[in-house]
Amino acid sequence: MLSGMTHTIPNTIPKLSRRTVLAGVPATLLLGGLARAAQGPKRPKLAAIVTEWRYRSHAQNIVDRFLEGYGWNSAWHRPAMDIVAVYTDQVPPSDLSRERARRIPKLRIYPTIAEALTLGGEKLAVDGVIVVGEHGEYPQNEKGQWLYPRYEFFRQIIDVFRASGRSVPVFNDKHLSWNFDRAVEMVEASRSLGFAFMAGSSLPVTWRIPSTELPPQAEVDEVVGIGPGKVDSYDFHVLEMIQSMVERRRGGETGVAAVEALRGGRVWQALAAGSWEAGGFSRELFDACLCRSFTLKPGREGFSHAFPSPEQMAEMVPDPVVYRIEYADGLKATMLLLDGLVGDMNFAARIKGHETPLSTQMYLGVPAQMMPNYFNPLVYHIETMFLNGQAPYPIERTLLTTGLVAAGVESLWRNQRFETPHLAIRYEPTKESTYRRG
Amino acid sequence: MSRKKLAIVTTVWRYLSHAQHMGDRFLVGYPWEGRWHTPPMEVVSLYVDQRPDDDQSTARAAEFGFQVYPTVGEALRLGGDTLAIDGVLLIGEHGDYPRNEKGQILYPRYELFEQIVAVFERNGRGVPVFNDKHLSFSFEKASKMVADSRRLGFPLLAGSSLPVTWRLPPIELPLDCRIEEALMVGVGMSDAMDFHALEALQSMVERRQGGESGVRSVECLTGGDVWRAGKLGNWSKVLLTAALSRSDSRVGISATDGRPCDLVGGGELERLAANPAAYLIEYRDGLRATLLMLDGATQDFTFAARLAGEPEIQSTQFLLPPVPNVTYSACLMRNVEEMITTGRAPYPVERTLLVSGLLERCLESKLRGGKRLATPELAVSYQPPEVSQFCRS
Repeated sequence: MLSGMTHTIPNTIPKLSRRTVLAGVPATLLLGGLARAAQGPKRPKLAAIVTEWRYRSHAQNIVDRFLEGYGWNSAWHRPAMDIVAVYTDQVPPSDLSRERARRIPKLRIYPTIAEALTLGGEKLAVDGVIVVGEHGEYPQNEKGQWLYPRYEFFRQIIDVFRASGRSVPVFNDKHLSWNFDRAVEMVEASRSLGFAFMAGSSLPVTWRIPSTELPPQAEVDEVVGIGPGKVDSYDFHVLEMIQSMVERRRGGETGVAAVEALRGGRVWQALAAGSWEAGGFSRELFDACLCRSFTLKPGREGFSHAFPSPEQMAEMVPDPVVYRIEYADGLKATMLLLDGLVGDMNFAARIKGHETPLSTQMYLGVPAQMMPNYFNPLVYHIETMFLNGQAPYPIERTLLTTGLVAAGVESLWRNQRFETPHLAIRYEPTKESTYRRG
Repeated sequence: MSRKKLAIVTTVWRYLSHAQHMGDRFLVGYPWEGRWHTPPMEVVSLYVDQRPDDDQSTARAAEFGFQVYPTVGEALRLGGDTLAIDGVLLIGEHGDYPRNEKGQILYPRYELFEQIVAVFERNGRGVPVFNDKHLSFSFEKASKMVADSRRLGFPLLAGSSLPVTWRLPPIELPLDCRIEEALMVGVGMSDAMDFHALEALQSMVERRQGGESGVRSVECLTGGDVWRAGKLGNWSKVLLTAALSRSDSRVGISATDGRPCDLVGGGELERLAANPAAYLIEYRDGLRATLLMLDGATQDFTFAARLAGEPEIQSTQFLLPPVPNVTYSACLMRNVEEMITTGRAPYPVERTLLVSGLLERCLESKLRGGKRLATPELAVSYQPPEVSQFCRS
């Protein structure tokens, strides 16, 4: 059931100038924002707007943690808030939401997003909204992007905010939209309506092995991030891994100037080139990433951990993808999707004045066999927003990574380097890094 | 300076055996601190006790240019008359060996070690020896092995990867801390796996004030007695919750439905851990620690402790990355390499001696229906390393 997808939603949101948006000016200084919800509701009532809720879907991973709690720092932590309303865009045979509605008295399923937010009444009746628009059967466009209806959900949410004369914090899982312009619109709306808006995945907030962060004022020359998975699902994660590190570099974030995607044989050519200047990426950083992996496919049979040669890697990876990213301030970043070579997320950076690269794995465990407890810190951060009315990290990070993933897809589609002046997104990272340490 | 020569003495070398994933670290290298590291030493000889159909020793020897010898002595003497190597890896894990009535696999570690010592004795000197996992199923034999190393003055390092693998979070208990109570949760329910859990526990509590002075008594409860002991307060439900807060296991409803589950608070624990065991350990200085083996309710190794004067409970997971890389064995081999290079064991073999004895006595208690056993022989004293050697860089 693809509700909300077939009709065009008229754009009635006041459009802020792109320059203002991209400069990250808070909404309170702009067009008279609508009144915000009072900060810090005692026991927030939350609406969960999801595509599908089934075993191991993101909706389960996130919303079930609000319902059941999760292991957190020497205790079982139960979020001090309630999911009172759920909207499910699709209800497959394996749906779990109906079981929850039967078992949990406070939880009700509503047929529309508006009714979930108003609890069937006239006005906004919840204190926060969780949007999980990941998973479910949705079409793919000709560029290979999954057309998840996050923007459409968002529009329906803010319709209720405007009609009610107040807004509440919103969390959006993963990227804001497959479409960057729509993502900009979403961020602009959050500013003009004045609500806390948080988005992204768990990569920036999970454990790091080793536990490390960019040193303060680090001048970063080049970075590499490697992960498994496919385009327009896992590239976002690898990009977020990269961004959550590089945003802390000296000068802050000023955005991206161009993205060049490579696929297939051109990836191995880039590896052989051995450096950015030669049209590839740093071999040292690439190797460092692989040395942080716990799931490096051995180069040879009968060996449990043998560093593969490039020829062996080429045999292991049927569809290698690279995004070479030129940041506006000169930083070079390479994102690699090497499904078949590694099963985890690894990062390496060359920092000026440091002899050896900084490298780490952003830990997701082995998702098929283990509980995806990297959602624990993500949910914890979301809870913080619902309790204090502020996003724990800037939405601009996700706006940029949303733009990056779209740019990567675009460059693949066009089979050429793609200049990205629209990605001149500036922001300062949070004072304290938000990855999990305790 | 010429490269150091290593001999490997092992029970069996097949894919994913300890000999393979540890020995290979010295043949093809391993990742260390973000770089691929090849130890600056040479495996020159191998003794392998059993050669099943999928034996890899012949192929490895051919490829990497070392010799497989028919006896331990010849492996250490490279077929000649005198000790000809600079270090020995004794990997007596895996292979087809009998079990005793306590369920312990009777790996011939002591027997192989004695053959190593025989060469050292004839030579008048020894070289560093690493023994994988517990020194022996028998505390008496383990004690003799340690005594031999002291008598002949050669460095002896032993144990498994649990104390040195990654931890989430990457914590150690502060040196000289005062521990009110400690609890370890493990999986495996066998002599092999219980060793890992006991060793992990020991590597944490050894850091307490006064250092380690050994164990006064052990009691191994099973079945309903485990839960009864919990209700009586003989082990702490709060610490169990704390330890399991670090677990990533997918069990029970988390496996069937997918939602997270508070096993302790929600009452699922007893149903899932159908055959639990509790090792109640009373140390000589009064510390009480418990190892709960909870197969069915957990798939990983977690720990919790309450420290005197600290409001926050300390807890962590001992991370065991998956096959085939089993990266934890690189963490362990790093310590072996260090010993062979420096001539000093990075952590005291007394830790492994104590845990070897603990395991044997606990399994005896289990065999005797959970009888509390006094363990005066386990008065093993040692100081922990100042900085614990677990992987964090």
